[in-house]
Amino acid sequence: MRLRLKPDLPGRNDLFVFAGYCLAAAVYIAIGVAYVDFLLSFWVGLGYLLLVAWLVPAVARRFG
Amino acid sequence: MSWAAHDLEPYAFQRHLKLKLAFVPLLIGSYSPDMMTKWFVYGIRLGPWELKADDPAKFHRGWPGFGFTHSFVYGIAIALILWKVFGSKLWGISFLVGQWAHALTDTGDTVGTMLLFPWTFHFHLDAWAYAGQTGRMTDAAAYFSGLGSMWDLVWIVYGLFSWRVLTSSYFDDYIYRADAFWPWLNHVVPRGALLTLYRAAFFYGTSRWIAWTIWAHVIHHYPYDLSWGGPHWVPAAHP
Repeated sequence: MRLRLKPDLPGRNDLFVFAGYCLAAAVYIAIGVAYVDFLLSFWVGLGYLLLVAWLVPAVARRFG
Repeated sequence: MSWAAHDLEPYAFQRHLKLKLAFVPLLIGSYSPDMMTKWFVYGIRLGPWELKADDPAKFHRGWPGFGFTHSFVYGIAIALILWKVFGSKLWGISFLVGQWAHALTDTGDTVGTMLLFPWTFHFHLDAWAYAGQTGRMTDAAAYFSGLGSMWDLVWIVYGLFSWRVLTSSYFDDYIYRADAFWPWLNHVVPRGALLTLYRAAFFYGTSRWIAWTIWAHVIHHYPYDLSWGGPHWVPAAHP
């Protein structure tokens, strides 16, 4: 029996989610570079992520 | 001090230890040594008053000061309180792992940590300059120009390599099941928000690393100095 090593790569759905987070990160980074105070607090980062990665998509799904 | 490693290390530990750890206390442990001290290291302005430590490095890492928060015994003390007073051995052990990781990571700079407090000897590898005493902006510029930022990058790459830890199914199978905190929170917070909460520190650490790197090297053109103990253009503090 031959064993073939297969790399553990993400599937289409994983990549779609990752792309969404990359988009959110790009906006966060752009705001942070322009106004560095935005980068200083974990709680600001958490609030931002909850807004863009959960609340906005949830509202869009609800009313979309 | 590290700017992103403390956000990212918990995901690496989670990858290897799975159900044996609870993620929230692991993350709190990773943040805990700096929680109450960073603002006073850099200083804040309250109206006409500026509050700042006279000797930021000593206040942050030394004795007398709050350096004991970067010691093994501090992690053990808080872990015992979580275990014996609040009744959660899992939270105690998870906090301990996170806090010890922070204390060990911070031995990488030129001030280091009093790992074996009450012995006040500072363990320090001198790989990157401690520049907290220069203020937040210069410290950021220095940190993201030296080996400290490369150490953070190792954790980012390792986290991306361990991408399954960040997936929805991993959260359901390991994170949620390992700790009663998540089902408790799920009574008032939807599952989608919990998943976002779980991913937040990785998002924050990675995005912040990229943003500060752009700020330091694209906007302000601070020179990279990846030599041991660098960057040498900033005055490094020592114990």
